[in-house]
Amino acid sequence: MSLKPSNRDWQIRQHIYARLVGTGRAPSTDDIAEHFGIVLRDASAALQRLHDAHALALDESGAILMAHPLSAVQTDYRARIDGRWLYANCAWDSLGIPAMLGCDAQIEALHPATRQPIRYAITGGQLVSAEGGLVHFAQPFRNWYDDIVET
Amino acid sequence: MLFRSDEEIESWLRRKGIERGAVLSLRRVWELAKRWYADRMSADFRGRTANEAQAIFRQLGLTGEFWL
Repeated sequence: MSLKPSNRDWQIRQHIYARLVGTGRAPSTDDIAEHFGIVLRDASAALQRLHDAHALALDESGAILMAHPLSAVQTDYRARIDGRWLYANCAWDSLGIPAMLGCDAQIEALHPATRQPIRYAITGGQLVSAEGGLVHFAQPFRNWYDDIVET
Repeated sequence: MLFRSDEEIESWLRRKGIERGAVLSLRRVWELAKRWYADRMSADFRGRTANEAQAIFRQLGLTGEFWL
């Protein structure tokens, strides 16, 4: 049975989100250990507890892969905020970025078949363009955390 | 995944051999995103239970087996 995240773990999560939003890149486990003045093993354990609590997702190496709605790697979905691109995990998350930040965004999603960009935007809290856009959710809610990448 | 029409979705599902899941308009997904992610960077955020998630779905009229 995995342990629940501690208050410091949640602070680490806050730090990860701030770094991802500010730079588009997730901190490494080394960066986290240094920032919080803890040993690498404790930083890794904190990330694992957050992963187990679905508060972020790690890849097989233990590196940060997702901090929803943000992706730590380039994907088919991205939102331009204040002149920089932030990557999202899916179409829903591409809207999740301006929803989380409460700001305007220009968004690009690559069409799954044609690979051509579909463009839409959030302006003043309203969705503009992409009329007729439809999002397909492949997995029912009960399976969302079984395979978060394919959801 | 984002498509421009239901025909595109059906074509994609046939090509990939995937069963149809749920399909929402992008406008409805924006409403879902606002409810789902607005508090995500709050220092008080501690995750969301399944019951809390389902309450958000119900607010948007997302009911049925897929959302349980």
